[in-house]
Amino acid sequence: MKSETKGTAVTIGKNVAVIFLLLLSMILGLVGCTNRPSESGEIISGDAAGNENATAEEPVIIRLAGEDVGLPNPFRHTAGGAGVSKATLLYDTLLEKDENQDIPWLAKRWEMNEDGTSFTFFLHENALWHDGEPLTAEDVVFTFNYYKEHPPVSNSLTDGKKYIVTDTKAIDDHTVEITLNSYNNTYLSKIGSVLILPKHIWENVDDPTTFDGNGATVGSGPYKMEIYNPEQGAYRFVAFEQYYGLQPAVAAIEWVPVSDEVLAFDNEEIDLVMPTADLVSRYKESDEYIVEEVPAYRNSYRLMMNMETVPELCAVDLRKAIAYAVNRQEIIEKIGRGVGLISSMGYVPSSSPWYNSDIEQYDYNPEKAKALLEGRTYSFTLLTDNSAKSTKMAELIKISLDEVGIDVTVESVESKARDNALKTGTYELLLTHAGGMGGDPDYLRGIYGEKSTTIKGWSNERVNELAKAQAIERDETNRKEMLFELQKIIADEVPMVMLYSTVTYFVYRPEKYDGWMMIRYDHNQRCDFYKLSYVVRN
Amino acid sequence: MKYAKLLKCIRKIPGKLRNFNIFSAYGKIGFVFVLLMVLTGIISVLFMGEAHKIPSGASLEAPGLIHPLGTDDLGIDILAQILHGAFVSIQVGFFSAMLAGIGGSTLGILAGYCGGWTDKLIMGICDVMMVIPQLPLMIVLGAFFGPSLRNIILVIVILSWSRPARIARARVLSMRQEGYIIAAKSYGAGFRHLAVKHFIPGILPIILVSIIRLISKAIRAEAGLTFLGLGDPTSKSWGVILNRSINFSGIYYTDYWKWWVMSPLTVLILLVLSISFIARDMELLFHNKGDKL
Repeated sequence: MKSETKGTAVTIGKNVAVIFLLLLSMILGLVGCTNRPSESGEIISGDAAGNENATAEEPVIIRLAGEDVGLPNPFRHTAGGAGVSKATLLYDTLLEKDENQDIPWLAKRWEMNEDGTSFTFFLHENALWHDGEPLTAEDVVFTFNYYKEHPPVSNSLTDGKKYIVTDTKAIDDHTVEITLNSYNNTYLSKIGSVLILPKHIWENVDDPTTFDGNGATVGSGPYKMEIYNPEQGAYRFVAFEQYYGLQPAVAAIEWVPVSDEVLAFDNEEIDLVMPTADLVSRYKESDEYIVEEVPAYRNSYRLMMNMETVPELCAVDLRKAIAYAVNRQEIIEKIGRGVGLISSMGYVPSSSPWYNSDIEQYDYNPEKAKALLEGRTYSFTLLTDNSAKSTKMAELIKISLDEVGIDVTVESVESKARDNALKTGTYELLLTHAGGMGGDPDYLRGIYGEKSTTIKGWSNERVNELAKAQAIERDETNRKEMLFELQKIIADEVPMVMLYSTVTYFVYRPEKYDGWMMIRYDHNQRCDFYKLSYVVRN
Repeated sequence: MKYAKLLKCIRKIPGKLRNFNIFSAYGKIGFVFVLLMVLTGIISVLFMGEAHKIPSGASLEAPGLIHPLGTDDLGIDILAQILHGAFVSIQVGFFSAMLAGIGGSTLGILAGYCGGWTDKLIMGICDVMMVIPQLPLMIVLGAFFGPSLRNIILVIVILSWSRPARIARARVLSMRQEGYIIAAKSYGAGFRHLAVKHFIPGILPIILVSIIRLISKAIRAEAGLTFLGLGDPTSKSWGVILNRSINFSGIYYTDYWKWWVMSPLTVLILLVLSISFIARDMELLFHNKGDKL
């Protein structure tokens, strides 16, 4: 009897051990799954090659964090860098931008007529569309005419509401002459950045915003699209072998869905990551990684003040007081985790060759702010989007403004609601983050000039005049003088308080791929958005 | 003298509680912790002023002498935020539970006493409220009413009155059959008399337990709603602290989570647990002796 009980006890013990082992192996199996980068890649690509470190023979495949940014053609991608950059890999432009200037791309070279209103572009003769058709001047002519009727998502061809191209004609198969309505310092860059469409596909399309039929992503760029999965935000672009220009640097680029980018990068599921300042030290210590620090000059946080609905804000002293009272260095230390650049109150970023350093800098000075307010107190509502970063920044602004006697109530809403309020002017103070500060400073005309809709209830005669004049001034020294004066007036008037621009860190494994171009002359923000990051440069 | 019995009954409850030993060990710990939270909440409001709002140190300082629980990314002391959060939580818990408990049981008594279409209507709404998935509705209502403490209390009340209502109705229904009610009625007692003299004293113990339960539910709901970003973003409730810390990108790759995430989480769990212990003890207590109360 006794031995029998013992026997049962032993069997139960064994069973428990077996179950325990089974559970253990299941758990280990699960952990193993997440650590194997090849598997997650395979689901989307169906291509097992290229996961391991690249060798000379093995084709390199770059993987990046994906999100759905629409069908990557000029009419269907979403606005913003991620969408535009995918379309530019598929579609070529006449010119491309490198670290310093516009460089020849689809156009081998170009000529300008004397008064700068007409450009002649000489195209590469052996350029092909992804479907094998040759690319000719006819396609370029068609593109400029088509965009007039059907503006693309990222439209550089209108100024105000006018279409800047008056005439396009093909001189021969590979020469195009484009005539513009007037001279402007930025127009060459603008027509140079237009995505060229294949005539044989789009000439039959009446509504490009709904067209997703055959050839909807056929371009002439260095990569062609193989897979687009909107649900997962996954894309796969493969190298276009008959490409005429600088050769594609990798066999394929894949955008894969990831939940945590840092984790995915550590597991080698993606090849580029933008960690926050706190996480950078993890990578700096290791030789396996390269860490690049890129200041995002192109954009800045701004504090908008609505002078249309809040008459008190029309007083320049109050606006100046706000600018002095906001502690921008503290915002950088706490929100930017110590990295960031205080923005110039004259709007043009300090990295630009057009930047005027001789303007009021508005260093943090609550005493001066109090003196400007002369004991008056105010009460405003500050509208912000509900992201953690913005609400925290709003909180800091509230604390600093409270100190000088400006009582602030923070209201946080969806970012779309905030954008709508910005557009319609239904706010008192508003915190926003916007770009558009890279490249040619003609952007001052759009923001502070006569037709501006950005700043509500503010206008300045001299600013309007200068903004108009600098756009058509061809002498660089004169233009610089005008732009310097513009910045000075803007800084003195403080139509909006410029806060700070962020700094982005990029980390990648050079052994896998190191062709990233970190800075483009128009100070775009992300190396994975530049076309030149994906081609072999001499 | 009409309210004599009710008063006597209310007076009796602290009398019962005066003997601390009726609580179990868990109940005692819970009771002490809740008391501590109430006290710290009051202290924070009375003596600590703006400490939960104004930065007093560098960003993300580790716990030390000056900041016992460290600071958050804005440099605000986390202990001060948690103490203030305790006040917010207890405020929300107390007011929403009271409102839901009193409102719900009043409706329950009405439904049980009047019967007919009143009963059908109230119980119908009750059923609907119970069937609707609470969290999604809470999020929708929270987003609809906009972020503020008052609205959060309102949302919680709307979603929690149905339970006390059902309990009160069931109790009143069974009481109606009792001899003394029938006798009182035959002497011409009206609804008011019956409610004050008989129904309320009768349902008070079970409603009390249900209110305590609601407190813990409301605290959780408040933390949940503010965590999801439906609260006032600049208020310092525990949910907001948690939301801020968890949304700090890459927090688990750093040490910050050890004080920034763990502290609000720990007090939240402890408080909810403590209230549950008290509720359990009270339930046992009233279950056994409720009839005599």
